[in-house]
Amino acid sequence: MGVDLSIEVFGIQFKNPIVLASGPAGFGFELQPYLDFSKIGAITLKTITVKAREGNPPPRLVDAYGGVINSIGLQNPGIKGFITDIVPELNKLNTIKIGSIAGFNLEEWQLLVEEMDKIKEIPLIELNLSCPNIKGKRRWAEDVKLTQEVVKTARELTNKPIIVKLAPDVTDIIEIAKAAAEAGADGLTIGNGIQGMRINVETGLPVLKLKTGGLGGPAIKPITLARVFKTSEVLDIPIIGIGGIMNWQDALEYAMAGASLLGIGTAVMVDPKSPTTILSGIEAFLKRKKIERFRDIIGIAHRGGFSVS
Amino acid sequence: MIEAELKKKRISGDYGFFIFKLQEEIENPDAGQFVMLKAPDEPILAKPFSIYSYKNRELVLFIKRVGRLTGRIFSSPIGEIFYVRGPHGNPYVSSIDLTKRYILVGGGSGISPLNFFSELHPELTYTKLYGFKEGHIRKLFNENEQKHLVIEEETGHTVVDVLNELTSEEVGIIACGPIPMLKNLPKNAYVSLEAVMGCGVGTCKSCAVKTIEGVKLVCKDGPLFKKEEITWEWI
Ligand SMILES: Cc1cc2nc3c(=O)[nH]c(=O)nc-3n(C[C@H](O)[C@H](O)[C@H](O)COP(=O)(O)O)c2cc1C
Repeated sequence: MGVDLSIEVFGIQFKNPIVLASGPAGFGFELQPYLDFSKIGAITLKTITVKAREGNPPPRLVDAYGGVINSIGLQNPGIKGFITDIVPELNKLNTIKIGSIAGFNLEEWQLLVEEMDKIKEIPLIELNLSCPNIKGKRRWAEDVKLTQEVVKTARELTNKPIIVKLAPDVTDIIEIAKAAAEAGADGLTIGNGIQGMRINVETGLPVLKLKTGGLGGPAIKPITLARVFKTSEVLDIPIIGIGGIMNWQDALEYAMAGASLLGIGTAVMVDPKSPTTILSGIEAFLKRKKIERFRDIIGIAHRGGFSVS
Repeated sequence: MIEAELKKKRISGDYGFFIFKLQEEIENPDAGQFVMLKAPDEPILAKPFSIYSYKNRELVLFIKRVGRLTGRIFSSPIGEIFYVRGPHGNPYVSSIDLTKRYILVGGGSGISPLNFFSELHPELTYTKLYGFKEGHIRKLFNENEQKHLVIEEETGHTVVDVLNELTSEEVGIIACGPIPMLKNLPKNAYVSLEAVMGCGVGTCKSCAVKTIEGVKLVCKDGPLFKKEEITWEWI
């Protein structure tokens, strides 16, 4: 018996639920020798801003044992550089490409959505409202009104599905998730890195040059998982679950909590093959449980789990 | 990733040689390239290690104990399984002027890629200077290698002091070691940089270094750069 790993969300057929999270996988090209892109569901490309950004001064990354804190600072070639240098190469990656963008004001969001709308290689747009490591900027996703404004603006400018990437560390994620959905979001990514830091005890100084950054990896999984669970309890909107997926069990927990697609960030840096390893694990699990379709386990934790036979 | 079994270790203080037997070959590593090494069952990133020597699936690393992963390697029993991938980064020979010979200047664990360079490219090697602070390090090196050691606590001189007496226009310099050492080198030196890496292949953008041509990545564009090309204040 074969297992059907495919899933249709946002009107798009994904061959399986594994998505590379925006950032650690860049634009994917350098991972090609290690990872067979035709085997994964999608890649969310590195977040693009209007202007090219060189990113934050180093150190930009520190291990936090149980997680990794990054403050890359959205290094990217800017929307123009992206269109001329990256987009023509995207067809080399044989998987669905999700474009990720971040504006610093409403005009920038507008421009980015308009440009993304024109790029035929990119069928879905993720609005990164939650980058935790931009100097001096408050995150859009910390505020209901700001979230709503950006999503509304985007909705008016494109017919492509819009996914909104939310911050897990906010007072009330459900309120913000609802605002995004009402404003026209087709899906939610929950979530992003959680603000964290480390101090070097020898120097008495923060390790990261920008002092704090976004914590990802195993340490954040219970936190983000709970947000996915709570949000999917009250909202009927597809969710990409991201945060600390390191192995197939982690991935399945997200699916069972209600995520339709499963995002992998830190694990790709540790081992570029981890997305396909995780997928094989999911497949083996479904076979063992005699479950024919991956989609049947989505949200099962809300429905009384597996019926005991 | 490839299984790497710890076969031998020789330790003195915070430095040590570690020999791993890999289950598969890594592809034609050249000097300056590094492997990403991951500890079993640790939810932490794989870390880059320059190759000290490599032959027939036998990987030699010269490691300084600095953090959790290196601590783990130091305390691991023989037979422990680690994981590696690579080689990543560019061979030194793809960045340097091949008409010259080079003085190889290492500081601490920075001697690693230089040793591999002298093994693979003796015709490009003029001489080697291996700088350390403490004399106990001598017991890790054989008789032939002793003459390359420059031990600060014995002579009061650093490798850069010794280099300044040796250097001339005709010979080049390739250096790898701590940032303060690299900063003290003559202008024409090639410097091999270390940086905190996430992926090691160019996607995650952690190992950024600012150069006169903009931000570059140590893993993908380096590790070797020209000294004058680097914006040192940024590091
Ligand atoms: C090096 C690095 C760079 C990242 N860059 C971005 C980015 O550009 N845009 C974004 O939306 N998220 C970015 N993230 C966040 C990840 O997409 C992900 O949400 C977060 O790391 C949590 O997932 P994980 O626990 O699997 O790492 C980045 C994360 C890391 C580690």
